[in-house]
Amino acid sequence: MSAPLEPTTTPRRALRLHRELTAIWATGPGLQRLASVNHSVVGLRMMITAFVFMLIGGLLGMLTRVQLATPDGKFMEAGTYNQVFTMHGVMMLFLFAIPMLEGVAVYLLPKMLGARDFAFPRLTAFSYWCYLFGASILTGALLLGVAPDGGWFMYTPLSSNTYTPGVNADVWLLGVTFVEISALSFAVEIVVSILKMRAPGMSIDRMPIFGWYMLVTALMMLVAFPPLILASILLEVERAFGLPFFDPTRGGDALLWQHLFWLFGHPDVYIIFLPMAGALSTMIPVFAGRALVGYRIIVVAIVGMGFLSFGIWVHHMFTVGIPHLALAFFSAGSAIVAVPTAVQMFAWLATLGASRPRWDLPMLYIFGFFFVFVLGGLTGVMLAMVPFDWQAHDTYFVVAHLHYVAAGSFLFPLIAALYYWLPLLTGRVADKRLAVPAFWLTFIGFNLTFFIMHLVGLRGMPRRIYGYEALDGWTWMNLLSSVGSFIMVIGIGLLLIDLLVQLRYGRRARRDPWGATTLEWAMSIPPRSYNFASIHHLDTHGDKVAPATIAPALARGEGYLGFTRNGWQETLGVHMTSGQAEQLIVLPKSTYLPLWTALAVACAVLGFLAKAYVVSAVAVSVVALLFVVGAQATGHRSDLGPLPVGRGVSVPPHTEVASSPPWLALVFALVADGTLFVSLLFGTLYLWIAAPNWPPSATPQTSLALALGAVVILALAAAAARGSLRSQLADRKPQLWMVLAALLLVAAIAVLMQLIGGVMPLPREHALGATAAALLSYVLVHAGIGVLFLASNLWRTSAGYVSARRTLDLRLTRLWLDYTVVTAAIAMALVLALPSLVGMLGGRP
Amino acid sequence: MDARAVPPRRLWLLALGFGLWCTALVVVYSMHAMGCAFGWRTEVLRWSLALVLLVHLVAIAWPWYRYAKSAADPAQGETGAFLHEVILWTLPKAFIAVVLTLGPVMLLSTCI
Repeated sequence: MSAPLEPTTTPRRALRLHRELTAIWATGPGLQRLASVNHSVVGLRMMITAFVFMLIGGLLGMLTRVQLATPDGKFMEAGTYNQVFTMHGVMMLFLFAIPMLEGVAVYLLPKMLGARDFAFPRLTAFSYWCYLFGASILTGALLLGVAPDGGWFMYTPLSSNTYTPGVNADVWLLGVTFVEISALSFAVEIVVSILKMRAPGMSIDRMPIFGWYMLVTALMMLVAFPPLILASILLEVERAFGLPFFDPTRGGDALLWQHLFWLFGHPDVYIIFLPMAGALSTMIPVFAGRALVGYRIIVVAIVGMGFLSFGIWVHHMFTVGIPHLALAFFSAGSAIVAVPTAVQMFAWLATLGASRPRWDLPMLYIFGFFFVFVLGGLTGVMLAMVPFDWQAHDTYFVVAHLHYVAAGSFLFPLIAALYYWLPLLTGRVADKRLAVPAFWLTFIGFNLTFFIMHLVGLRGMPRRIYGYEALDGWTWMNLLSSVGSFIMVIGIGLLLIDLLVQLRYGRRARRDPWGATTLEWAMSIPPRSYNFASIHHLDTHGDKVAPATIAPALARGEGYLGFTRNGWQETLGVHMTSGQAEQLIVLPKSTYLPLWTALAVACAVLGFLAKAYVVSAVAVSVVALLFVVGAQATGHRSDLGPLPVGRGVSVPPHTEVASSPPWLALVFALVADGTLFVSLLFGTLYLWIAAPNWPPSATPQTSLALALGAVVILALAAAAARGSLRSQLADRKPQLWMVLAALLLVAAIAVLMQLIGGVMPLPREHALGATAAALLSYVLVHAGIGVLFLASNLWRTSAGYVSARRTLDLRLTRLWLDYTVVTAAIAMALVLALPSLVGMLGGRP
Repeated sequence: MDARAVPPRRLWLLALGFGLWCTALVVVYSMHAMGCAFGWRTEVLRWSLALVLLVHLVAIAWPWYRYAKSAADPAQGETGAFLHEVILWTLPKAFIAVVLTLGPVMLLSTCI
């Protein structure tokens, strides 16, 4: 029998509370660590894993510099060189930068926001395992000599079967997609956690500025990653099954890949920058000894930057032949995106200028950031000017620019953040005797390596070449660049040694070594598994707290949830804008389920790589089953009503409120899904208007009756799902409605399969057929997932997890099916309109 | 006295100005592509694009005007004031972004 839900009113001493909370929240020893879902554990793993990939990626970069140090370099053959420079880019961008920022966010955000964990701990763990396995597949391919070799952005037609018949490109497509699934999962979780899981009293205007940066970044990830995932799926389907999305001889277009890739690729660099800008906005006020200048204007700048970054992707494609007027849009946009960046820079300078800063260790790297990033930004504005870009495109000038902005915006702030937050992670402080020389060697080496690349690029050296001749006149510049890279490596090596020395021998840090003003310092260092023994009620700005004052009171249990109950992992959910405590969230405990699910996904990916599609299909079914199984043990089997959470406040559990984290998670997941769908619509219409070899020889035709029938059946299924919700709300049994909805979905799937089978022209013959099949398949997949939703609903309703007050499951199903119906209607409309659209092509001059 | 909570849907207004900038770019870029593909007359294409530009400028200017004229609801406290101010500031910035990004519509050759 469980303990009473009312907490005892006896004050608890800090140590007893700590022991009780540790028993509930701590990760078990040995192999049980693989089952951990705690954000601190997973966040630390992410950061360490990403750091390892940074070192491997850096090593690959060094290999390229050895090759290019002298003319006619014989260090590597061309084929090997192609794999090395491709994997350098892939590792740095996909396996280091994004995962590292995610790891920082996962580790820091709950602490900074005053929460005990993230919204979906099992999803956090699943995302990590997906990242690790995807990254391992890519790294394994490198060791086996079959790594991707077509450049980190894998342009078609080079990456198509014709020119890359081997498995190299498939490794990229599947491995990167695997990692991106992980990133999308993190993004959903970050958005929901920031909006709903803050300390009570932390209204949206009191949120630490880092929270705003991560909120915008995560929202950007939701919209940026789907185009890449779609492009990867389409190219993999082309390579595996011959559907010609990018093959111009059959109505496809190689440029479609570039559009979809850079729709992801440009926002990606801002996704990488913004979290580090958030870190800078957190650190600079601490060392300046005053509050950040311009909190509100920075929020405006972040929002502006988030949007503007999506509208300038074509600046990577200035030389493909787009009309001047269209180029002008993207040139202007690429220039003005510097404005919100400059707003932030000036806010930081103003914060420093209005004070007497402490020039402590992180400030060295912040200086490095200012110097390097400004240079990178200036060359970015140069490249935004089309005539200049036409000279510099695909030369080393661009390589120089991208390294300046990447290192400037990410690497230097990251190391500053590392030194700033390392006392929190490890409980020890750095020794300057190694750290300061490490900085100067890294800084000087970096500038020597990459500044010269501007010059050699302007002298005409193209990107991605594995050798050059002495007569080209690039010799001394490349040699200096390579020397600089070795100096930089020595600096990074010293940094690594410093970190290890700090971990082993570093002086113990006091609780708040920097005199910081954010909540993550109001806890033990290193932090406990539960973060806060009790949750703080914020009555000031989240960037202006006094950790030393708050921490002892929280440790004594004087905040919210300063007790344990039923062995539950409890934290609080708040109103999105006001920050008022609204719901009690009970989080799941350690489980191996995320690991098994990620392994199943890995099997699906490996099956596809090996062209063992049956294995992939079985693995995907296992993944679906594990997701349904995973949903079964969550929530409560009875209505609990408001529960006391301390400080005289009682709130209902999250299963009994409308705006609970799972609801928001599905909303934002559908934002990502909708972006993928819109990208597919864009791709279809782009091929119609711009691809060669249109119209196809075979007349497109789709059965109107079947198409309308599919939409009607889906609408009826959605109506049946609504019926189940209405029944449940009226305390009647909803199961019959659920069964009806599931049967209707199965019928819709049958109709959709018939439609796909009847697509003309055949999907392998022309891109028109391929895109029609893709649109119909999208609807089919969603109908299939709808069946899984309903199966879970039936199971959980029978098990008692659903009631008139606990209707979350049914509302999620309703939302999913509504989305499926809307997208089905749009997809069918486009498929039915294709004959007319093809007919219009006859009117082109 | 406790302030009244700002409805969460108000947060979507943070995306209003620059969201309209995004739709302006998408519509202009798409219309330009179709106009050039189907050989629309230069004046027809240019004025169509200009019309889209104007519609979006009005769509941003109107809420900008409404927000600038009104004050934050005092009942919603500091949170309401913060959101009012931040939403207000996004609107002129988006307006300028539309002008600068899509202004070339009025000046450059259409389909070369």
